[in-house]
Amino acid sequence: MLISYNWLKKYVSLSAVEAKEVAEKLKASTVEVESLQDQGELLQNIVIGKVVSAEKHSNADKLKLCKVDIGSEELQIVCGGSNVREGMLVAVAKVGAKVQWHGEGMLIELKPTKIRGEESFGMICASTEIGLGELFPIKDEKEILDLTDKNYKIGLPLAEVLGLNDWVLEIDNKSLSNRGDLWGHYGMAREVAVLYNRDLQKYETKKILPGKDFKLNVEIADYKWCSRYMAVAISDIKVGASPVWLQEKLMTLGHHPINNIVDITNYVMLDLGQPMHAFDADKVEEKIVVRTAKAGEKILALDKKVYQLNENDLVIADNKKILAIAGVMGGMESAIENSTTSIIFESANFNAINIRKTSTRLNLRSDSSIRFEKSLDPNMCEIALQKAVELVLECCPESKVVSKVVDENNFSLPVGPIEISLDIFEKKLGIVIPEKDILNILERLGFEIKSKKGNLLVFIPTWRAVKDVSIAEDLVEEVARFYGYNNIISASLKLDNKPPLINPLRKIEKNIAVTLVKGLGYSEVDNYSFISESQIVKMGDSLEKYLELDNPLSKERPYLRRNLLPNLLENIKNNIENYSEVKIFEIGKVFSVHQTGARVDANGDHLLPRQDTWVAAVCAAKKDEAPFWQVRRALECIFFELKVDFETLLTDVVLSWEHPARLAAVSILGKIVGIICEINPFTSQSLGIDQRVGALQLNLSAISELLEKQSDKSTYKPSSEYPEVVRDLAFLVKKEVGHENILQAIQKTSELLKKVELFDIYEGDKIGEGYKSMAFRLVFADNTRTLVAVEVDAIMQKIKTMIKKEFAGEIR
Amino acid sequence: MQSKLEQLKSEVLLALKSIKNKANLEELENKILGRKNGELTNIMKGLKDLTDDERKIVGQLANEAKLEIEAVLQTKKIQLSQADWQTNLEKERLDITQPALPKIEYGHFHPNTIVQNDLENLFNSMGFMVLDGSEIESDYYNFTALNIPESHPARDMQDTFYVKNHEVDSETPWVMRTQTSAMQVRALQKYGAPIRAIVPGKCFRNEATDVRHEHTFYQLEGFVVGENITFAHLKGVLETVAKHLYGEDTKVKLRPKYYPFVEPGINGEVTCFLCKGNGCRVCKNTGWLEIFGAGMIHPNVLKQGNIDPSKYQGFAFGLGLTRLVMLKYGIEDIRHLESGDLKFLKQF
Repeated sequence: MLISYNWLKKYVSLSAVEAKEVAEKLKASTVEVESLQDQGELLQNIVIGKVVSAEKHSNADKLKLCKVDIGSEELQIVCGGSNVREGMLVAVAKVGAKVQWHGEGMLIELKPTKIRGEESFGMICASTEIGLGELFPIKDEKEILDLTDKNYKIGLPLAEVLGLNDWVLEIDNKSLSNRGDLWGHYGMAREVAVLYNRDLQKYETKKILPGKDFKLNVEIADYKWCSRYMAVAISDIKVGASPVWLQEKLMTLGHHPINNIVDITNYVMLDLGQPMHAFDADKVEEKIVVRTAKAGEKILALDKKVYQLNENDLVIADNKKILAIAGVMGGMESAIENSTTSIIFESANFNAINIRKTSTRLNLRSDSSIRFEKSLDPNMCEIALQKAVELVLECCPESKVVSKVVDENNFSLPVGPIEISLDIFEKKLGIVIPEKDILNILERLGFEIKSKKGNLLVFIPTWRAVKDVSIAEDLVEEVARFYGYNNIISASLKLDNKPPLINPLRKIEKNIAVTLVKGLGYSEVDNYSFISESQIVKMGDSLEKYLELDNPLSKERPYLRRNLLPNLLENIKNNIENYSEVKIFEIGKVFSVHQTGARVDANGDHLLPRQDTWVAAVCAAKKDEAPFWQVRRALECIFFELKVDFETLLTDVVLSWEHPARLAAVSILGKIVGIICEINPFTSQSLGIDQRVGALQLNLSAISELLEKQSDKSTYKPSSEYPEVVRDLAFLVKKEVGHENILQAIQKTSELLKKVELFDIYEGDKIGEGYKSMAFRLVFADNTRTLVAVEVDAIMQKIKTMIKKEFAGEIR
Repeated sequence: MQSKLEQLKSEVLLALKSIKNKANLEELENKILGRKNGELTNIMKGLKDLTDDERKIVGQLANEAKLEIEAVLQTKKIQLSQADWQTNLEKERLDITQPALPKIEYGHFHPNTIVQNDLENLFNSMGFMVLDGSEIESDYYNFTALNIPESHPARDMQDTFYVKNHEVDSETPWVMRTQTSAMQVRALQKYGAPIRAIVPGKCFRNEATDVRHEHTFYQLEGFVVGENITFAHLKGVLETVAKHLYGEDTKVKLRPKYYPFVEPGINGEVTCFLCKGNGCRVCKNTGWLEIFGAGMIHPNVLKQGNIDPSKYQGFAFGLGLTRLVMLKYGIEDIRHLESGDLKFLKQF
């Protein structure tokens, strides 16, 4: 929303105060001021000129060589405007002026130049090139601003003739979303008056003297949607241009003047924040009805578009037709035209939620709907109507009020009082604000205060009683923001006497990330939680296993990931071209269709889907044909760092993207918590990856839950004082014999065996087809004595016999 | 005899001066102390021919001389050995400018993780626990519990992703959480008051992506509830965070801002760390960067969390983690963060 500084000054004396300062203060205490524009600044060195001659440029078909009279001199200017012609009044940007080429990009300072061999001293401007595109909309890109019918004096600065000597504050609409009262200049002036501790001018209006000639009846179907509807008819109107002051005011705020009646409704809206509407009285049959639309009813609105309405939309109608979409936009049929002689003014209050729903559904936001959806004070209807009538009578001296002033209403506002004790300000803010300051701020804002047994009774002004101020905390805010947030002295939180609870899941996440990054050289990626149908299909998965967004941003990625792999594999594909090896991981939440998680509220039985945090690490390298071992190593490191023993198990469950023979379930404490595998080469290929990919996936939520029950037991044992005996053992066995089985069998053979470790595996030409050679290192020790060779020899013999017997092994 | 010993000593000292290598030293050692024919050895051997008294005196002298000579020989030996090493080590000189081979690839944390961990540590040190919540959240916790009733204009501010079959008008609407504040009421219900917690996490808005906008981004929510927690405490915490992030000189400026779940509501700006408040492109020439939204928790929110607002009060604040990351590293396009592009990620 735009606010005019000059307009504010009508209501609060701001002598010796600069607009910039007001903007800063409003920013600090009231609203977000996005920009402050000096109206004249952009138009410096731009003057009114008259085209004396416009001849074809000798070297360019579309350019004209113009002589332009700007009062003090005559300039030669090359102009590409499609409508430039002799005798035209134009806006001339002299050398030194700043313009925007074609209304886009940075401002550029004009310099004398040569265009296709002809000298040019300035530019004849299009409205968009000097920031006046809103005031003077262009029909065609090449069109220059034609001021011929304005009869401005040649040579005058454009800013002056347009009355652009104001400062315009651009307020962020979002920062006004709870402040319906600030959508007009008077409301904003009230804040400024409090900021400067100056008096706010009383808003004066004259009472309307009713007439009798016109029967005006209004019927409100349901006061829930329209709590007040005021209307009055005026005849003997002469529709025409508004007085200059009114046009200037509107133009300053970017409103294009239309005609006196429409301009007055806009003026009153900008002044008081109360949207108004004017109907052509001759086009309204019998009475005005405020009702909800019938399904399918249509209206041609003032924006020349047809809108189809439904039963939730509120309309203004007469007996035959819809006159307006209530609070959103009027209809063409009852619009004010140049031939209009009688009008009906509407000043009403509509339900904020209803207006918002309609305007959202129709995708039609107007200055009116924006205001109504913030909740307005129904008391404003009357002041606004009085002001509008006053202005019409002023602009059209022959006109007269010909009806009674209709006021159908049924509303009551929660104006309190709020009972508070004075110390609430200190209790909430942590500082002492003098009582007189508190009272001064509240009273200047329009609150009425009475004392009651040491407490205060605070009555809320009607314009703040609309969904804005209702509780003590609201009053604390009013006082704090005017006292100044920056005047509040900060305080330190006292140290708690208990340490913060530890989040076990976060601890595991961090531990694993460190292991992968620092220990193993994996890089962390962060992917979207959304995936596409094509990703799912290529993984060989089925869509029904995925939750789906109702309103995805891109139709391409509507599904919620149920594991981290699809996006990680996409990362591999996108990166492998640039790197000989890609090792990446992600820690994030995945979404389950079948399992349930947290409650949707404290009491009900509905549950959200389960959303576990997983880690997935994937790796691929150009020469690595078995990256399974990379992820196996990652798995070992992760659990080493977590100080947890794990097992890898064969699993019957093989998912579509998993390599069935390079796949293991990972289990801790007897529960499966993850998978390591290679991606099925078929899947990789369909994803466009030529390399083998290893993948590790662990459910960290599950691991965290399991470990929470585990105590941090120390496993420290003093080391033996007696020497260890180390023996190596190598043997051939069939390839399918599992390491885990052999390991366990060896470990069982003797108490003295402290460590058994595989250190080499060999398969190849030197040994028979279908066989592998395994080499183990065995460490023997006794904590109470030195071992002798013969007893170790005996155990070794026992192991060899066992390997031969149980695993058909051949000792090497 | 005595003079013979003295002479021997000075001979040795003299000879030592010209000795330049181990071989010569050994030769000299042999000549003097050699078991068979060493000059001193011979003297020692001759002791047995002396009378007891003479032997006592000369024997002692000879011993002393022997120790003395051995000592100087030993010193010389060390000197030579040192010099020897020196020459040999020089031959082992390496090109210290050369990197270690084979090269190993280092891993990299996502920049978001770096900033998030840093803040988690800071807040931990101030006694805040770290929570994480659901990313698919109920409409209730994301909006209603936060004093944002249905059709409240505030819902307009956030274009929300809904989950199919749990649409906005359904009986159980599910949203992709639009803010980490969604965890506030869950935490209050679970842990009660007093409480200090932060909730870093992923949030979603149905917003077209461009250089500065993402539908997926990270926030860090924090809140404190206790019996005497005031606005001044909020300001204190925000100042601590600002100084932690941008240095001791950093100032915090607070301005009113409307959020339905706080009252009063503010936003916080900090001195631009790049231009130190003088104005630059990053702060759009204002000298300030907006990084916080905050306020005193609305009593309605406390009530939803089963906290008695007449006994307890508190504050909440939210930081745009993604924004902090972009500011810290000067990242020009927000979309890099979720691109999975290693050329980008390997820079952190």
